[in-house]
Amino acid sequence: MNMQKFFELAKARGIEESQVQIGKSSSLSIRLFHREIDSYKVSSSQYILACGVYNGRFGSASTQKLTADAFEYLIDQIILSATYSEKPNEVGIFKGSEKYHPRNLFNKQLGQIPVEKKLATLREVEEAIYAADPRITDADGVSYSESESVSEFYNSYGLKLRQRTNHYAFVAGAVARDGEETKTYYDIFFDNDFSKFDKEKFVKGVVEKALKKFGGQPCLSGKYPTIIDHDVASSLIGYFLSSTIADEVQRGSSMLKGKLGQKIASRKLTIEERPLAKTLFYSYFDDEGVATQNKAIVKNGVLQTYLYNRETAKKDGVESTGNGFWAGSKIGTDVGQIFVKPGKQSFDEMIADIHEGVYITEVAGLGTGMNAQSGDFSCQAEGYMIRDGKIAEPLNLITLSGNLLKMLMDLKGFDNNPVLDSGGTSIANMYIKSMSIGGK
Amino acid sequence: MISKSLAMKVLNAALATGGDYAEIYIEETKSSSFTLENGKVEAVGGGLSFGAGIRILRGIRSVYGYTSDLSPKSLLDLAAKLAGSYDGERQIEVTSVKKQKVKIINPIVNPVLETPAEEKIAYLKECYEITASVSPKLVRIIDGLSSYRKKIEIFIAEGPVAKQFENFEERTRVVMTAVAADESGQIETSFKGPGRFEGWDYFTKVLDYKGAAKQVGEKALLMLGAKECPSGEYTVVIAKGWGGVLFHEACGHPLEASATARNLSVFSGKIGEQIASPLVSAYDDGSIPNEWGSNNIDSEGNPTQKNQLIKDGICVGYMVDRSNGRRIGMEPNGTARRQSYRYAPTSRMSNTYIAAGNDNPEDIIADTKLGIYVADFGGGSVEPTTGEFNFSASEAYIIRDGKIAEPVKGCTLIGRGDQILLNIDRVGNDLELGQGMCGAASGSIPVNVGQPTIRISKIIVGGRGGKLE
Repeated sequence: MNMQKFFELAKARGIEESQVQIGKSSSLSIRLFHREIDSYKVSSSQYILACGVYNGRFGSASTQKLTADAFEYLIDQIILSATYSEKPNEVGIFKGSEKYHPRNLFNKQLGQIPVEKKLATLREVEEAIYAADPRITDADGVSYSESESVSEFYNSYGLKLRQRTNHYAFVAGAVARDGEETKTYYDIFFDNDFSKFDKEKFVKGVVEKALKKFGGQPCLSGKYPTIIDHDVASSLIGYFLSSTIADEVQRGSSMLKGKLGQKIASRKLTIEERPLAKTLFYSYFDDEGVATQNKAIVKNGVLQTYLYNRETAKKDGVESTGNGFWAGSKIGTDVGQIFVKPGKQSFDEMIADIHEGVYITEVAGLGTGMNAQSGDFSCQAEGYMIRDGKIAEPLNLITLSGNLLKMLMDLKGFDNNPVLDSGGTSIANMYIKSMSIGGK
Repeated sequence: MISKSLAMKVLNAALATGGDYAEIYIEETKSSSFTLENGKVEAVGGGLSFGAGIRILRGIRSVYGYTSDLSPKSLLDLAAKLAGSYDGERQIEVTSVKKQKVKIINPIVNPVLETPAEEKIAYLKECYEITASVSPKLVRIIDGLSSYRKKIEIFIAEGPVAKQFENFEERTRVVMTAVAADESGQIETSFKGPGRFEGWDYFTKVLDYKGAAKQVGEKALLMLGAKECPSGEYTVVIAKGWGGVLFHEACGHPLEASATARNLSVFSGKIGEQIASPLVSAYDDGSIPNEWGSNNIDSEGNPTQKNQLIKDGICVGYMVDRSNGRRIGMEPNGTARRQSYRYAPTSRMSNTYIAAGNDNPEDIIADTKLGIYVADFGGGSVEPTTGEFNFSASEAYIIRDGKIAEPVKGCTLIGRGDQILLNIDRVGNDLELGQGMCGAASGSIPVNVGQPTIRISKIIVGGRGGKLE
């Protein structure tokens, strides 16, 4: 599409400055069930997101209908949106950062591997799950998916940015039954280098984690030293980070208001945002066209910075941190890939001094059980007891409750085995001095 | 949105390799949103979602694809690509397309998308003023109105005469959020989100939006002073309306054929068996006029209907879509739904509720010596295979000696659906529905949950407040 034409049309209609993002993506996914292809899905889609300043107000619009009249539709919507906005636009459209760090992490080979080979690997995964143990009655959600997307950024100041990415994922679940008991465990592996998928290791993890759950019971309600698995720790840290968003702070709905430069967590906590790290989650510009940058958010327990887009940065008299991302019809703030500094001990060493504690491996219902503003949370959980420094009997249908800030103050450390999860957070297993567990 | 002749070509391309069912789902959705922060318009959004999904079934196998390019070439390419995953002989040649009559059970008077923006903004400002007047401790009040109108066209071929359906969905939701903060740094949030498949008149003339705006402020304040919820196993009384999210998670999802037909539900093969207390009867009804979860027809062209799921504690039915129905030899019953053209449809809930019983809600509380009363919820989730579910209270109180006592916060209830339903020992006569969004395999869709006041004799409660005494 001819973007210059969009900017000219917009200007002629009174939109002084504007920006346009075009996204195109395609995907493939195959799911097996009982050794048959249960679902096969392909897609190709595209969208345009546009925004601009009209009469000193910000307006935005989006469409997936890329027909000849798309530009006119977008321009009409931007004008409509700006006309009713009561918020003066303070920052306008961005002219561009001094330096960008573009890097091509697109893996060409992934698309060249025939679908048959990917399907064959998937079938092997399913077979291996069934073959692992007689108590496995179903392999569920066994699927392969891949997607490829390109996003382009243009604005009326001539800024042009482009990023192309791809990745694949294997997902599988094991359903194990023993008498009246049914247990499940699901896992995901993702990368963009197909050769990195270790089928045996993946299947072993899924199966073992399902089987180990048999006999799970609630423990007695109480406060326990608690180890939180990296996956769960990642979600909890994610909620904590939502309070570092400057917009929340400025509007008085963040528990971190007034805490910049203060100790808000144990000195064992160091959190960095590294959007430029060379992983699948690499991203070198945000939705305002600002170059992203690596930075510490929390260092040795002290809050280093809030996360800013251009508007909230101006309000606080600082520069945008490159965290401006669309949230509905306005530019909000979001977090890129996160690295939480691991500890030095192995998992076994870390739990060795726990006389009676709890190891939480999975939680459910955190989405509604979390009050992100106050940091209070309560959710369904499962895991194991820790007795005399060793993993003991499985726990099931318990609750994990706490307050994020208090939990991070009570942080005793992490083990030395961080995992980069599918949400773009690298974090190890987390040891908390004491947490409330609900059970019998 | 596409011609009959193009639809016929696409269906025939899709059926070339032995498919016994092909479907084209085309959608154009216009959406509009207004967001006010502390009474000032901050964001006005407008968008167009547009595309087509093609599905081909062959026995119990299913292939699906979608594209946002509706040109003949793009649609024919997609159909051919999908057909390429089967390798049989053609069974069906479509020779004509016949338009079907769709009964409109959700009439729209005064469509919200055509209502002047000024009127909608004035409405939200009124909501803001009411909430703000509750207390100066409300530091942040967000009022929003989001609406969409979805034009849908479906072509289905199961024989030489393909069926064509034209349908629409038009929903609006008012969302109110209040954030209360005190000097000590405590922050609490509350939320209300009434919505309907109906026009603007409902929101101005029927809905008690003023009451909702007041409640959202009051609730945030109340929680600011609340103690931590105790943890342990207790008797819990669950209020009417949104309390139905318990049934939605614990029982509704496991009764969807997407789980039961694969033997992946605690309720697989349980038709005719007792799965709940004899006091419990339950329905899923997508045909209640203008309700949030209602539809004229489902995503496979079937009329929506009232399906009984549980009768006096006995499981009598599932929600069944075409593809999963084939696995268990059950006919689809108007419950196939999807968020958009980007999702293949599957069996989903619409307006799902526990039917009214005989008890007065006051008596249920009066007869509870020590327990917890849950007045409102945030939401919840379930793993249908194990039946394990959770849901979080957003407003809860202790019950002492038959009376509602002090408020508590941070309350989560957990259990197994197949056990908890048997523990329901009182069912009130005050059935009410509440609106929510439900996320599952075919995306995020609007649903109503509902129930009268009920009591669960024992359920695990999680909180940070120690033992209840």
